[in-house]
Amino acid sequence: MKTIFFIFTCVLLISVTSMGFIRDGDNKIQQRQLALIFQHTMGGDKLVLGTPCKNILGENIIIEKFKYYVSNFSVTDNNGQITKLPAQYFLIDEADPLSKNIILTIPGASIKSICFLLGVDSIKNVSGVQTGALDPLNGMFWTWNSGYIMAKLEGTSEVSAAQGHYFTYHIGGFKNGMNTTRMISLELPEKEVRANQITITAEINQWFKGKSELKITETPVCHSPSALAMRIADNYSTMFSINAAH
Amino acid sequence: MKLAKNTWVMFVIVLIATGWITVDNRYFKPRPVKFIIPPGWPQPVYDFSKNPLTEEGFVLGKQLFYDSRLSKDGNFSCGSCHQQFGAFNTYDHNLSHGFNNALTTRNAPGLFNLAWQKEFMWDGGINHLDLQPLAPITAENEMAETLESVTSKLRSDNQYRKLFKAAFGDETINYQRIGKAMSQFLLQLVSSNSKYDKVMRGEASFILPEQLGYEIFQKKCTGCHAEPMFTDFTYRNTGLPLDLSVSDMGRMKITGDKNDSLKFKVPSLRNVAMTFPYGHDGRFFSLLSVFEHYRKNMVVGPTTDVLLQKKLILSNFEIGQLTAFLYTLTDSTFLKDSRFAPPGFENNANPPADIHQ
Repeated sequence: MKTIFFIFTCVLLISVTSMGFIRDGDNKIQQRQLALIFQHTMGGDKLVLGTPCKNILGENIIIEKFKYYVSNFSVTDNNGQITKLPAQYFLIDEADPLSKNIILTIPGASIKSICFLLGVDSIKNVSGVQTGALDPLNGMFWTWNSGYIMAKLEGTSEVSAAQGHYFTYHIGGFKNGMNTTRMISLELPEKEVRANQITITAEINQWFKGKSELKITETPVCHSPSALAMRIADNYSTMFSINAAH
Repeated sequence: MKLAKNTWVMFVIVLIATGWITVDNRYFKPRPVKFIIPPGWPQPVYDFSKNPLTEEGFVLGKQLFYDSRLSKDGNFSCGSCHQQFGAFNTYDHNLSHGFNNALTTRNAPGLFNLAWQKEFMWDGGINHLDLQPLAPITAENEMAETLESVTSKLRSDNQYRKLFKAAFGDETINYQRIGKAMSQFLLQLVSSNSKYDKVMRGEASFILPEQLGYEIFQKKCTGCHAEPMFTDFTYRNTGLPLDLSVSDMGRMKITGDKNDSLKFKVPSLRNVAMTFPYGHDGRFFSLLSVFEHYRKNMVVGPTTDVLLQKKLILSNFEIGQLTAFLYTLTDSTFLKDSRFAPPGFENNANPPADIHQ
């Protein structure tokens, strides 16, 4: 009996330790966690929803909603090696503080740049109903013209001719020629390459004057995949920057 | 004594070890349903591997389809506007009735053979069957409900928690599962047993007017209403003048392309005798008025279909024979199939007696 017990214990020990070996084998490259903190500004000042401010074109506005998807992250190390991270989709929502801090698991101690898709890739736009950040419950999905709203900026402005002086920009569209997803690539400042936490700032003024002017006076509404949506996406694709110092 | 002690130690170790065995889905064995492709039909476009058909999924989907709690005021289920005796259209209605006495802007199409359909709605705006129910549930002039509210109503219902568990393995209720379950029901609405099908299978033969009608149909209609689905799933402008009260531009609303102005999906003609009124807004109340439109009343504009540039020349004789043929597309076994009737009304799926022509 003693022998049986001994063998039994040995088998148990071996199986437990070998499980550990397998796990080590999977993780040859050292992984670490990187927190990305998204912060939103309007003309350099912290964005406060529901508070009057002025955009870069001099229009008085009050922003009520600001949310967008980020997905398909990848990082580049000092040798130029690009690593695609596992597929993850995040909905960054100004109104939800928790949503603005996301955690990625990245390889290597130091990275030179970080790259992500602003929006949701076309595959997820044609694959039926999703859950989590991509759940249609989040109000970022068009039911009448299937597809995600990649980014949304809403508020009021006295110069808007739309009902209730609203301006509503729901930017979406994923098909060829109407694709509003934008690849964002951000270089990390020298000091930050090993940081465990990086702050990414999104400046809302870029919606109005990123590459071309978007005047609320002229265009207060965008609600469908269109040339206008593409132009606005081009504008806001320039809104991100990484703060150099803490 | 040592033996007993050792045995006990081993027993405890084994007991602890069993803790790691996952028992979650041990009793989750839904009964699979085989999807049968009628002989001679193309492969379906729906990806069944992402949503394998099961008895339990079908039962849940049917329950949801016929549950009026999916609407804001509890008055409208999917089945309210998609009635089985009308091949799941809104029988005898040009437009359907929605929340707060609202009318829809388009005619509710019949629902069948959806596994072969890539895009949904008259303008093809919806690209996946699982997504389709979202539109009528949330549309202000249809069921007018929010998804939050639908899911919370279902979560608070013990019966639904059981049905979701049976279909999906646990009691989680989210829109993804609602969409998949509804698809399970909708996908099984296959209509392939009309007289036309029987003739094609060699089980029946056309009488003379039907045969003549079939020959005329193949010459003049199959350019768009291609067999065996009786639609080629394209979008075409068939010369219906624009109704200024709604200014429905059709496919252009989805693509933003001027060339798609006033184009709508070619509807299947299966069960056409039961799916009156016709047209994307149900403006034609009979087959005869459709034929009159094609031969006389069409407005030929810049986006009117190339096949219809000179309208459609049809003699009175041809209209008579075509009508006889179109009636052979009625699939009474589908219209009365008790599997698709509302839960509890399985013996009551008969159509009303007043069939219009």
